[in-house]
Amino acid sequence: MSCIARCMRIAGEGVRALLANKLRTFFMMAGTIAGIAALIIIMSIGKGVEKKVMKRVSGFGTDVIMVTAGGGKGFSPPQEGITTLRMEDAEAIRAQVQGVIAPFAVKRDVAVKSGSSQTQTTVVAGEPSFHEAWGWYTIEGDPLAAEDVATLARVCVLGKNLVKDLFGTENASSVIGEYVQINNIRFKVKGVLESRGQTPMGDDFDSRLLIPLSTGLRRTFNQDYITNIRIKVKDTGQLVPMGNQIRELLHERHHITPPQEDDFAIFSAAEIAKMARGVSRTLTILLIALAGLSLLVGGVVLMNILLISVGERTKEIGLRRAVGAGRRDILWQFLAESLAVTFLGMLLGSSFGLGVCLILGKFTKVPMVVSWEPFALAIAFACLVGLFFGVQPARRASRLHPVEALR
Amino acid sequence: MIELDNITKTYTKGAVTTQVLKGISFRIEAGEYTAIMGTSGTGKSTLMNILGCLDKPTAGHYRLDGIDMVNLDDKALSQLRNRKIGFVFQQFHLLDRTTALRNVMLPLIYADRYPNDAEDLAKKALEAVGLSDRIMHRPGELSGGQQQRVAIARALITDPEIILADEPTGNLDERSGLEIMAIFKRLHRSHKTIIMVTHDQKVAEHADRIIVLKDGLIAFDRKVATPHKPENRLQELADKEGRK
Repeated sequence: MSCIARCMRIAGEGVRALLANKLRTFFMMAGTIAGIAALIIIMSIGKGVEKKVMKRVSGFGTDVIMVTAGGGKGFSPPQEGITTLRMEDAEAIRAQVQGVIAPFAVKRDVAVKSGSSQTQTTVVAGEPSFHEAWGWYTIEGDPLAAEDVATLARVCVLGKNLVKDLFGTENASSVIGEYVQINNIRFKVKGVLESRGQTPMGDDFDSRLLIPLSTGLRRTFNQDYITNIRIKVKDTGQLVPMGNQIRELLHERHHITPPQEDDFAIFSAAEIAKMARGVSRTLTILLIALAGLSLLVGGVVLMNILLISVGERTKEIGLRRAVGAGRRDILWQFLAESLAVTFLGMLLGSSFGLGVCLILGKFTKVPMVVSWEPFALAIAFACLVGLFFGVQPARRASRLHPVEALR
Repeated sequence: MIELDNITKTYTKGAVTTQVLKGISFRIEAGEYTAIMGTSGTGKSTLMNILGCLDKPTAGHYRLDGIDMVNLDDKALSQLRNRKIGFVFQQFHLLDRTTALRNVMLPLIYADRYPNDAEDLAKKALEAVGLSDRIMHRPGELSGGQQQRVAIARALITDPEIILADEPTGNLDERSGLEIMAIFKRLHRSHKTIIMVTHDQKVAEHADRIIVLKDGLIAFDRKVATPHKPENRLQELADKEGRK
């Protein structure tokens, strides 16, 4: 016990020296403050971006495979005028693959009117399976029914935001039975979809409009091809083999032999997450490395100031040795000084970083998630830097011969 | 009790070796007041460092209360200095930007046991050297004599048996020097062992015994028949001032 108390007293001497020379202490701390603050901010933004991505990916669905008409490597809304994906493809998939198969056609920027309100939105023509494949159901009225498809019914299901855009009301139940005009054809509103947020690419799911697939193809879009097939699987472990199976099937049906380019693309959540993250993760890693670099530079500055300080305080070291400080006591005092500097720098840098994060989170749209991890990392880094860059000066101080030091 | 037995010290610098101490032997009993004299370069500082356990002899034995310090490691020597020896230096060696009180408390930091009443002890030590009204002053705010008295209070705080003083009056005017000598006299009366290195005959005459070094050897070792009384000379100075 007395040994620990003694160590604490000696560490206290180090802290006292820091307090006695505040400007020098500030210079020793500056690098740590900047590095730790940067670390906290960057990691919080990185986490914010990641959360945004994961939210979008979960909006897309984690247990689905999406077949999109048109080739290309990027995940994007289907391109206009690609006619290669057909209902027969969906039927063929349905025959081979277990799961909910939902073919649909998407058309963007379709004019939709109700009374005097008009808007441009994305219209989706789908089958009743659409609801199950997307896990996306009505909160008011009825979903699409098989009968609607069979009879080419002019009915529609509205995304939640469309209710407000077209009818100027928040009350979803009040619009059931009302009419909207899609490309100047009257459709009866039979249901309103629950809120779903944003697509992985940042579009609004909730301003979409759903009509029966048959009605869409023949009456509204006037086309005989579809744009997507969404397959919901029971077991997410099946995503990869099933994707490969579908790819092979479509190759065969579309008479494509690699290396010929595909006229379709297949995605699942993993690929979409990768793309939605884009460069953000690489950038985050790079920036964290940069914060690490500033910590390193700060550490070198700290070491140099400590070395100078050892030189300036030779007499003090000699005196301490004379009144009973052993080599280890001197070593520990300077090490404690270094650790105190980085620890205090860590506290200041963390507070500063946290402040910036809170302000950015409140007043800007920068995605931001404040969590404990960057702070834990900051503590670890501060101790490491303090130890690593403090050891050399402390050793130099402890190796001074008391007689030489007192001279 | 201090026993030196044929102590030698040799410094090697490159190809040149210099033997500073060439075989020093003496005994100092507990409670003795001894001055070590010699012109500069005669090895008195080296001897002082060895006596203070700051340095080890090249050969020979140094027993402090029967313990041969030659065999001790850094940690044990440091503890020995802390417990048994109080240093007083020519340049005072006080920590600047640090109050007299904290300067006096410094040795306690390194003690095995930190007394609960450390601050009171330090205050008492400062009182004993006549500085009870300078407790919170920093060295820069004190005169040389006052600084040296703070240093003496620091040397006394662990209640050591031995006071080692290296030219304690070297940086002081006559009056301040005499005040220091008066304190040493008092310490001597309370049975501290005092060893004082000086080149000044007048200062050395305050001690009971003078050991003179010459070329690394003891030239002579004698008792002082009637040691100077610093009080007398201080009185003289006061009278002189009174007459002005």
